[in-house]
Amino acid sequence: MAKPLQRSSPSRSPWLDRLSAFGVWSVALIITAIFAWIMGDILWRGAGQISWDFLTLPPQNAGRDGGIGPILVSTGLILVVCLSVSLPLGLGTAVFLSEFTAADNGFGRLVRRSLDILSGVPSIVFGLFGYTFFAQTLGLGFSILSGGLTLACMVLPILIRSAEEGFRAVPADYRLSAASLGLSRTATLWHLLLPAAVPGIVVGLVLGIGRAIAETAALIFTSGYVDRMPTSLLDSGRALSVHIFDLSMNVPGGDAPAYGSALVLVVLLILLNGAANWIGRRLSFQSGFHWR
Amino acid sequence: MRLMRNRGYFAAFIVSLAASFGVQACSSSPQGTAPSSDGLTGKLILTGSSTVAPLVGEIAKRFEAEHPSVRIDVQTGGSSRGLADAKQRLADIGMISRALKPEETDDFQGFVIAQDGIGVIINKANSVGAISDRQLVDIYTNQIQNWREVGGEDAPITVVNKAEGRSTLELFLSYFQLQNSQIQADVIIGDNQQGIKTVAGNANAIGYVSIGAAEYDIGQGAPIHLLPVGGVEATVETVQDGSFPLARPLTLVTANPPSGLTQEFIQFAQSEDVHDIIKAQNFVPVQRKELAQTLR
Repeated sequence: MAKPLQRSSPSRSPWLDRLSAFGVWSVALIITAIFAWIMGDILWRGAGQISWDFLTLPPQNAGRDGGIGPILVSTGLILVVCLSVSLPLGLGTAVFLSEFTAADNGFGRLVRRSLDILSGVPSIVFGLFGYTFFAQTLGLGFSILSGGLTLACMVLPILIRSAEEGFRAVPADYRLSAASLGLSRTATLWHLLLPAAVPGIVVGLVLGIGRAIAETAALIFTSGYVDRMPTSLLDSGRALSVHIFDLSMNVPGGDAPAYGSALVLVVLLILLNGAANWIGRRLSFQSGFHWR
Repeated sequence: MRLMRNRGYFAAFIVSLAASFGVQACSSSPQGTAPSSDGLTGKLILTGSSTVAPLVGEIAKRFEAEHPSVRIDVQTGGSSRGLADAKQRLADIGMISRALKPEETDDFQGFVIAQDGIGVIINKANSVGAISDRQLVDIYTNQIQNWREVGGEDAPITVVNKAEGRSTLELFLSYFQLQNSQIQADVIIGDNQQGIKTVAGNANAIGYVSIGAAEYDIGQGAPIHLLPVGGVEATVETVQDGSFPLARPLTLVTANPPSGLTQEFIQFAQSEDVHDIIKAQNFVPVQRKELAQTLR
């Protein structure tokens, strides 16, 4: 049996304890205060702009008047394109990395390393790539499709790495039990691993949506600048973040609607995160797992 | 049972995503455009200067309202982009915030739609009332480093310069006969608004921006003021009557002599029908006489 632990005298100093507690508390408070300040600033300057008309009408007078209706629709479509391409691709790659290759497999390592590098690439580089590849080479032009696909490239690394962590977090016992019960690999994946990996996938989704919806540089050359209501995925459509950038940088007197749009963007982000978490909880509850 | 239900949920989620994508993709076939009474149909793409884009975007909206089966897409990216895209036919019309250079007139045709004056701005807290062109050159080349040397307070000068590729920079350099490599900038900015915000936030800064944008922001209470250039007050009026020396024409360019829809739109953008839009965007409409001159 181990000896009872001796309390060493230096750590008994109550002053040191109090000081370090104070330090930790104040750091946490500063972080919260910065967040609250930014949110408060956007809310204070933006709330007065928000109305039903602002959310539904098209922009007028270069965005100083009117609303952001078509811009919200374009932003939504860009996000739908981005997710419907990146989610299946991302999940597939994550399954490959975690279930079909060993952790120290050479090819797996190569894929992981390239994803890590890709996730650090500045978004303007993705924008230029999207412009030359999707818009020019594939002939999609300035379109919501070009923008969504460019964002999908950007979001993939985040999505894959988080989903992979989610799959790896599933205990190996589950796989062994499933195999001993004679379940096929596909059945194990659908019924066991996918539901159990939902928390990791949701984290990836939340981060990915966050990166996609805040993106400006990659979109200005791909989905473009047109603020008309889009009628198809091949139309150019201005994203909310591009609109905010244009209002605050190119339009004198565009600050007020820029703050209004920023508030909408933040609220949209919070709602989307909430939705992703809700779907995630539904999915893992259904499978009978309780993740805390 | 549980497992089956769960699978259903997940599949439903994926399917609904795919469906929303598919529905959109189906509707993405080119929609039939009914010819309007005046027979104008089709689509125009314009790219170029971020200074001109908001203005042309508004002009395009009015043009679309008058010709319902015409679609005009305005994109940005800077004057150089406008010229490159017009040349490669990626755009029907390019937008540049300067006049065409002599060597460019072989490849392009230019159409001035409005004037924009470039004004030198300092912070309102700065007591300096006017500086000569010579002093300004010295400030930008770091020969003068303190406001005291031009009659101000004892404070170091923060020189705000425009980023490479901006036509404001080119115009500024050519008027003051400077090379960009000679300029010793403390801050490099991109757009007008960024310049105004930088100078408004720094009592010792000096920069140069569009007069229209500066006048608007001064009216909104921005703590900056415009210095005269070459002894001429920097106002929208002096830009309009041509006496202000540091002005630039906002120009539409095409690689070919314009015809059809392109020609209709350029004529509309130069007509008096859009003068109210030009003024609302803080630019200065050009008079018919000047237009005839620039078109030759």
